[in-house]
Parts: sequence; structure tokens; C-alpha cells
Amino acid sequence: MKISILGAGPGGYVSAIRAAQFGAAVTVIESDEVGGTCLNWGCIPTKVFTASSELIAKTKILSDYGIEFHHDISVNLAKIIERKNRIVRTQVKGIRNLLKSWGISLIKGRGTITSPREITVLSGSGDSKKISSDNIIIATGSKPFELPGYPFNGKTILSSNDALELTEVPKQLVIIGGGIIGCEFASIYRELGAEVTIIELLPEIITTEDESISIQLQKEFKKRKITVYTSTKVETAAVTQSGLSLFLSNGKEITTEKILVAVGRSLNSTDIGLKDAGIKTGQQNEIIVDEFLETACPGIFAVGDVTGGIMLAHAASREGIIAAQNIFGADEAIDYAAVPNVIFTMPEIASVGMSEKKALESGLNVTTGFFQFRALGKAHVIGEIEGFVKIVAEKKTDRILGMHIIGAHASDLIHEGALAITNNLTIKQIAETIHAHPTLSESIREASEDIFGRAIHKPKIQ
Amino acid sequence: MHPEDLKYHREHMWTKVSGNKAKIGITDYAQDSLGDIVYIDLPEIDLDVEANSEFGEIESTKSTSSLIAPVSGRVIKVNEALSESPEIINEDPYGKGWIAVLEIEDNLDLDDLMDYSEYTKYVEEETG
Repeated sequence: MKISILGAGPGGYVSAIRAAQFGAAVTVIESDEVGGTCLNWGCIPTKVFTASSELIAKTKILSDYGIEFHHDISVNLAKIIERKNRIVRTQVKGIRNLLKSWGISLIKGRGTITSPREITVLSGSGDSKKISSDNIIIATGSKPFELPGYPFNGKTILSSNDALELTEVPKQLVIIGGGIIGCEFASIYRELGAEVTIIELLPEIITTEDESISIQLQKEFKKRKITVYTSTKVETAAVTQSGLSLFLSNGKEITTEKILVAVGRSLNSTDIGLKDAGIKTGQQNEIIVDEFLETACPGIFAVGDVTGGIMLAHAASREGIIAAQNIFGADEAIDYAAVPNVIFTMPEIASVGMSEKKALESGLNVTTGFFQFRALGKAHVIGEIEGFVKIVAEKKTDRILGMHIIGAHASDLIHEGALAITNNLTIKQIAETIHAHPTLSESIREASEDIFGRAIHKPKIQ
Repeated sequence: MHPEDLKYHREHMWTKVSGNKAKIGITDYAQDSLGDIVYIDLPEIDLDVEANSEFGEIESTKSTSSLIAPVSGRVIKVNEALSESPEIINEDPYGKGWIAVLEIEDNLDLDDLMDYSEYTKYVEEETG
């Protein structure tokens, strides 16, 4: 069996490996670098910045920990970028070696589907090459969405890609869009020393999360002196000598050195020959797939961002695996109820399953448990007491519907919730599981007990 | 400020009214039960606050609690020193640890508030 894959991001390269493991002859076509947005411009590079930001935050409180350090701290952005590039290079090489070890051929160029069983690849030098295959998996991903009137120029108006390549920390940074990307960059650049302002059109930031989490993040941002304007938009922008002058719908005028536009992502689904192959797309140009990830053209599958679903690397990878398996006749569908979401703001956020609001909207009888990190010894030991765990459960069955965490190591803690939801576990089962002391994981057990009013480290309500 | 000269709200807030201004803060009992205060979310200037409703938040190493306004009024001054050093509230809740000054209506009715002896008794009852 011959399988061609368009795109070598976390959807594409993972599906390639799975297909090769099943014995297919696999060709991957990538116009840029393997690893896609995730590795080159997203998950990994931003976390390199986050790692530096967290260190800066820690150094400010060294003395509280009994460590006297008598030097000034300064940020060398070029060095952070150098470290980022080194880490990305290593990972890129790792993926290339993986592909090679499975006998997968990687072709550099832009692929277009020219018939349901053929892809034409145009290389940078203008050569074209036709590749025929029995099946195709489209995993072309997405790119930063450009806001009309604010074209990216890499200098004053930045995309999230540009924000990873700055040579100096801007004095002021206005971030348009208070979603995941906007909030992560707000945390990063605030710690690096910029004055950061977030402008969000909706009444809350990170509206994808449980309301309690977005309210808490807004408070934590306030503490860190990140200005957040919600229900606000930029009316006009004018170029000045020192940068840009923005007039906001709330009547405020702000001047800033740079703007980062983080209002979402547009899908890479145009100019890849979808129409000719009879592949249907939706209103956002997303490729429409059935539950088995097959497009309207039999034999052609699509995974990841380009399908317009959950735009997360690990969701794309899971889809890549399922698509490859379905080509080999598995007929598997993905359960999206338990896809964890992690946001690397300071403090971290992680969630899995339904928010309280969503559970109520689904007509479920809902109960919640809540536990603050600051009631745990471990939180005090590591000096990160802010944050909490919230568990949403079904009243009748005690089944866990959602887990929402804000605070240190949330991204690592969330998998207890993912395991619970994937396996239909109940709050009792979590409460009865012995959690080691002293750990932050104790907060999950306590939040489960809190549903019955029996958290141990929580005072009796008068 | 002498605690005897203040008026108290059941949510453990104090106020000192002079003319059309009311200075507010949390009581010594409140700071003691909260423990080490690490952050206070101060209200914005010009915010209209209503008696008995939340106007801010205070965080200690043990818990987070709402700040409840003892009287209604408009915020005209906040204690900026608390943003950098919230522990001042622990050290001097009735003095340097004041939170805000409200502009209030003339002759505001303060009958709902307790005086020092009433508040002391109230705290004793609450703590059993």
C-alpha cells in the first residue's frame, strides 16, 4: 500500500510513522521544516521562552529562599532565541531520523492534489514531480490569522511567529486577542520586562476555559501588572515616531512600540487542490471529514488544524494515528471528550472535559468540587501558592465530567483528569486513591472530596 | 487610629467617617484569621461601591476572601503602598494598613454598623 501525506507537522509525521509501522510505503511532502507549527513556531519555541521567563520570576525571589545573589539580572533575547533554535534543530533532526528509520521518504516542496490518487509536488527550484498513492492524508495545518487593516510586517505589527524572532524586548507590547496564544505571550513578555496590554473583544479572556479559570487568570495578570481590556477593540491605529498610537473602543488611547496580533489561525486549505478532488470544505475553509477522518473523496483523509476541530498538536497526532489505522480498515473514531488542553501562562492552566457551564448547557445535573493550592504544604514549599483545582461531576452518577486547574504544574497534573474521564471514573474513585504527600496532586483528591463537603484541609463552612 | 473610635461591619471591615469621607480597612481579627497577607486587589478610583457587596479581594497564604464594603460610596483614594507591601495590613490594620477612602453621602445612616464593644462581642460569639 502506498500512502502520501501532505504536511509533516504533529498530524502528518505521526500518521506517517503509524502507516509505515503497518507496512505502507509512505511519502511525506513538506514545504517547510518537519515538526510543523508545533515544533518550529508554536508549542516548543514558546515553551523555551516560558522557561526563561519562569527563571526570571524565580530569581526575583531568591532571597526569600535564603539565597543571596548580588548581581543584576538582564535579559539577552538573542541568547534565548539561540537556545530555542538549538532545541528546535535537535527535535527536527530527531523527527527526520525517525522518518528515515521507518523508511519514509520526505520530499521538500509544495504539494497539490491533482487527482484523487496523485499529488504534484513543486520544489523551491521550480521542478515538479508527480507522486501516486492509494491513499492520501492531508495535514497541512494553519497559520497566524491576519487582522484586516493590520498586515504583519515583522517590525511593529507582529504575528506569533514574529514574536519568537525579536532581537530586543519591546518597551511596550499590545496584544490583540486574549486567547491562548495572546495570554501565553503576555506572560512571556511581561516577565522579560515589557509593559503588556491585552485587548480582547469578548467579555473575558481565554473563553475556551471554565469561567472560574478565566476570572482567576485575569486576577493573576493584574498582580503581574499586565493590563487587560475586555469587551474592547482597537478602533484606529496611527504610526508615530515611537511606534504606534491606538485608539480603543473604551475611549482609551495607548502608545506602544509593537502590536502582536493573536486573533486566531487561518487554515492552510486553499491552493492544495481540494475542489478538483471533490473534497468538501466548510465556512472557515476547514476540510469536512466524517467520524473516521475521511473526506468527501474516498481514500483521502484529513487530520489536525486543517479540519477546523481542536487546534492542538496532541489532538492532531491522535487523529494522525487514527487516520492511518482507518486506512488499514480499523474503522475507529476519536473520543474528543477527554482531550486535555494546556496553557503555559504564568501560572499554568490545564483542563480536560466539560466546563461547568457546558455541562449545565448539556442538561446534566452538575455538582462541583474546589480546592486551593494554598491549603497544601507543597505549594508553600515551592513558593507557588496561587491556583486551584475545580472538578465538575454528574450529581446522579458521580462521574467526572471535567477537571480545571490553574497553578504550578497544572499541565502535568491534568492527566489524572484525562485518565478519569477517558475511563468514566467517579469522584469517589479519585477520592479513594491514595495521593502521595507532599505533592500538588493532593489538591485533586481534596477537590473530589470537596464535592461531598469532606475535603480535609478546608475549614468547615459556618 | 484607635479601634474604639471606629464603626464595624459584620464582614470584619472597619470604617472611620469624617464629614463626607469614609476610610475603610479590615479588622485586626480579620487580618489575624487570614494569616500572612500576600496580595490585595485594590478597587479602582471612581468605582461606586455598595454597602454589603464585594469591592475587591484579599489573598493570604491560607485563603482568598472578598472585601465587603461597610458603607456605600465612591472610591476617591486607595492605599497604593499595599500593592507592593500588602503585609502592612497584618502589621497595622487600623493605621498604615487602611485600604481605601470613599466619598459618601452627607449624613449617611450608619445604624447598621457596630461600635467597638458590639463588634468585640460579635467576634467572641463567632469564635465561640
